[in-house]
Amino acid sequence: MSAQNYSDPSVLVSAEWVHEHLNDPSVKVVESSGDALLYPMAHIPGAVKIDWHNDLQDQTVRDYIANDVFENLCQKNGISNDTTVVFYGDDNNWWACYAFWAFKLKGHTNCKILNGGRKYWVETAKLPTTPEVPSYPATSYKVPADLDWRELRVFREGVLEHVKASLPLVDVRSPKEYSGERTHMEGYPEEGVLRGGHIPGALSCPWSRAVGDDGRFKTAEELRAIYEQELHLKPTDDVVAYCRIGERSSLTWFVLKYLLGYQKVRNYDGSWTEWGNVVGVPIVKGALP
Amino acid sequence: MPTTKLTELVEELADCDPKERIEMLLDYARSLPALPERFADLRGPENRVEECQSPIFLFAEKSPEGVSWFADVPLEAPTVRGFVSLLWEGTQGASVEQLTSLSYDVIGQAGLKEILGMQRMNGLVGVLRRLKKVVSETAAS
Repeated sequence: MSAQNYSDPSVLVSAEWVHEHLNDPSVKVVESSGDALLYPMAHIPGAVKIDWHNDLQDQTVRDYIANDVFENLCQKNGISNDTTVVFYGDDNNWWACYAFWAFKLKGHTNCKILNGGRKYWVETAKLPTTPEVPSYPATSYKVPADLDWRELRVFREGVLEHVKASLPLVDVRSPKEYSGERTHMEGYPEEGVLRGGHIPGALSCPWSRAVGDDGRFKTAEELRAIYEQELHLKPTDDVVAYCRIGERSSLTWFVLKYLLGYQKVRNYDGSWTEWGNVVGVPIVKGALP
Repeated sequence: MPTTKLTELVEELADCDPKERIEMLLDYARSLPALPERFADLRGPENRVEECQSPIFLFAEKSPEGVSWFADVPLEAPTVRGFVSLLWEGTQGASVEQLTSLSYDVIGQAGLKEILGMQRMNGLVGVLRRLKKVVSETAAS
């Protein structure tokens, strides 16, 4: 990994590394995919499934699950406080990064991403998969008492202050979503927003640009060319990333924080589905910030 | 106006518990017929379902009964593949009018929302919209 020159290469593991550690009791592989049928169809042997929506989100409040529910989720999946949790998934690991971020919110220390996700495992490495669902002895997982997520997550009031201070934001949605041409899909207006556009000053940089054709992250040099030469961000900047619900921007958050070593980068998980509907906040339409 | 066959298949899915429904969808995903060779080279942006992250292509051509349609969906996109396969099986022999008037409600009626979650429905809506478009364009050509 060091060949890629990432700031913190320890957060990434290769498919080959995971394959060698399938029977390592200190490692738990977690699939978080957007397609809910992928895991039941076939997954990495021994992997458990943690669903970004059904498992990690509270079904009543728009928020992540409460600490005791998270403890229960980890306990039943055989995850202890000191377990190395390796996340992987479809869509170039965007949901895996979302689960990684949610685990960090709950204070889990040792989280890693399987570089390349499902795509690399199945198509390039051609490593085995199975439909067999494993079961593990329950653990006694506890969320740390001194939980502090403020360096990871920002709410809309914080974003408004960020905008007023002219600090950098990265909008990682598609260009059509950024410009405001598209607000929702036909037939599903309840998933949409009242207004199309972006947060004033936000730079457009679709999340998928950080990933190469085989599903693995681009090298640090390639990433710097995008975020530093093109977007003019600096590792010392205070950056907020957002998308539609905070999933795609988790991947950008991961890239900036760990692969490029940005000191302060937060994910705005309210994202456009909140900002585009909130009373009293400004938006910008069109292709420019 | 859905076809009788599709209505039956959708009701069958809706009557299952969520676990069985996942298994049935996987069965549908496995049974989607391969894309006929004559369409293989036509897999370009103009025939792609743009709402889906995975490369999914739909084609239609005139047939003695009206219009026939075909799909190419990767094995690694089993939800869309299963849904496309359900639609394909349920609309064999359907008229152009039946195809172009397929309702977006079919996704909810099949009980897919509760197993897949709301946010995942965009791709399926995109498939249905694209299908109606290619069928009506082929019929009018």
